[in-house]
Amino acid sequence: MSEPVTAATSAGATGSIYDIGYRRYEGTRLGRGHAARSLFVHSLRSSYGIGRGGRAKIAPIILGVMALIPAVGIVAALTLFAQFGAGREFDEQVPIRYDTYAGTISTIVILFCAAQAPELFGRDQRHGVLALYFARALRRSDYALARIGGFIAALLILELLPQVILFLGRVLLTSDIPEAVADDLPSVGPVLAQSALAAGLLGGLSMVVSAFTPRRAYAVAGIIALFTIPNVVAGIVVGLGSSTIGTWLTLVSPTSILDGTNAFLFDTRLDSDFFFVDLPGIAFVGAALVGIGGSIAITLRRFARIAT
Amino acid sequence: MGVALISIRNLTKRYGSSITALDGLTVDIEPGIVGLVGSNGAGKSTLLKILLGLIGATSGEATVLDLDVRTRGTDIRQRVGYMPEHDCLPPDASATDFVSHMALISGLPRTAARERTAEVLRHVGLYEERYRAIGGYSTGMKQRVKLAQALVHDPVLLLLDEPTNGLDPTGRDEMLELIHRIGAEFGIAVIVATHLLGEIERVGSHLVAIEGGKLLRSAPLGEFIEHTGTLAVEVDEGSETLAERLAADGLSIALDGRAVLVDVADGRPYDLVRDAVADLGLPLVRIERRRHRLEDLFRDAAPVPAGPAGHGPAAARDQVGVDPAVGGPS
Repeated sequence: MSEPVTAATSAGATGSIYDIGYRRYEGTRLGRGHAARSLFVHSLRSSYGIGRGGRAKIAPIILGVMALIPAVGIVAALTLFAQFGAGREFDEQVPIRYDTYAGTISTIVILFCAAQAPELFGRDQRHGVLALYFARALRRSDYALARIGGFIAALLILELLPQVILFLGRVLLTSDIPEAVADDLPSVGPVLAQSALAAGLLGGLSMVVSAFTPRRAYAVAGIIALFTIPNVVAGIVVGLGSSTIGTWLTLVSPTSILDGTNAFLFDTRLDSDFFFVDLPGIAFVGAALVGIGGSIAITLRRFARIAT
Repeated sequence: MGVALISIRNLTKRYGSSITALDGLTVDIEPGIVGLVGSNGAGKSTLLKILLGLIGATSGEATVLDLDVRTRGTDIRQRVGYMPEHDCLPPDASATDFVSHMALISGLPRTAARERTAEVLRHVGLYEERYRAIGGYSTGMKQRVKLAQALVHDPVLLLLDEPTNGLDPTGRDEMLELIHRIGAEFGIAVIVATHLLGEIERVGSHLVAIEGGKLLRSAPLGEFIEHTGTLAVEVDEGSETLAERLAADGLSIALDGRAVLVDVADGRPYDLVRDAVADLGLPLVRIERRRHRLEDLFRDAAPVPAGPAGHGPAAARDQVGVDPAVGGPS
């Protein structure tokens, strides 16, 4: 009978025996919250391939760099024009601004979703890791929320980092920094809100798809289809002359919803040939929020029932 | 510590209306290395999952460490380590990264998680290779990682589901040795679910046999062995001659291929066998003490708890398939 010797009771001879053998863990045990936070961080890191093999980093690094290129390019050009005293003119002409940035990189964000979302949920299901998570202090809902949250946080970084660079470039390259900050400050709210809606909606929906399709290839195809087909269908329906149905169909197209919220948040008008121009802006925000809430609810339900 | 480690009362689990995985199971399990033995589909995996609170029972009660599995699942899972039967490792992570991640999920702080990971991987015998991706590991190494992740948070109780699955004989010996050390040296209670009775005989202290979701027997291992001694005498040729000679000596014998099975209920057979083989000049291959095979347990199958069930002389015994593959939920 080997009694476990605790640090407090192991004095002298017995202690030395246990030093070379198995040692009990007497330290603190943090509960569910710590477990969920750790999984959140793990999901965020895994989304960028950190802590996985070298090959897992290729896609996120390429897409991350592509998302940065417009911002870096604008800042570089701005530096050049500012040297010739034409900074302000350039600034007024350039098409890539806070209110267009999300739209500019939306394709990259969608590709990032298609490439990385299946890694998080699909991997755990394909390789049976789910059983190990559920056999720990974590609850099934904790697992689902931590994974979704980590992925949405990864997307948020993808959306916001270029705009932070844009902001720093614009501010630091002018002679009057306080004025430049004051100029850009009103955009901060809309930028944050639009990035949050985009990350939440695209991230949430791609996590739903990957939660139900452990096979990576199918999940990738499913995510891309979900983000492109409704938009195309809506366009066709409108083209056939049924603009009412087409208008409402745009509210099931994630990319159209985000175009709409962008226009609403930055108070710009959608291009006049956009067929859904008539809808009130708040309808798009509502649709985005419903989409985010719905995808979280569906994912929670999925993992509450999945067999391990 | 008079309290049972695990107490199961009338536990029933049905899948749908047709499949019954557990059928009114009642048994107490004490600390030690306990073998949970049954054929495939007997309900072993289902029982382990219910004990972990991973799935709910249809009816009945169970407590683990005095905690109700229905209401205290989270508390139970914090103190229990679980090694599932199936693959459960991501191929693109290294053993170190994966096990320390699992330690974090078990509630260990970051530094402690790293220290415990290094220690546990050393205990299970993974060294330099622990920094390589798991996808390139052999089955034996993967099983060690699975064991390490179950052990990393220093559980009070370890639930192992078919831990020697897919291992070659050497790997099996090493895994069993490891399980024995965990139970005997580390002082962690272990429950090993397996369909191979021979493995439990080597490491276990107690045996719980179930079949069709019902309890066949629960008894200390010694009791099983005492009542079931069979000596297998294997000769290259002349097994019939040997059998006749031993029968003439008054032993109850049976033939099993080239081996002659002798009942060793009394102490005499060893000398008689030695003399018989020597007198007949037979090429002896081995003399081996054979123990209960799983199917023997099922043959006595009166579902009475802890009955020392008198075992008749080893009469005509057919060679039964070692692995009675029965389909069903596992």
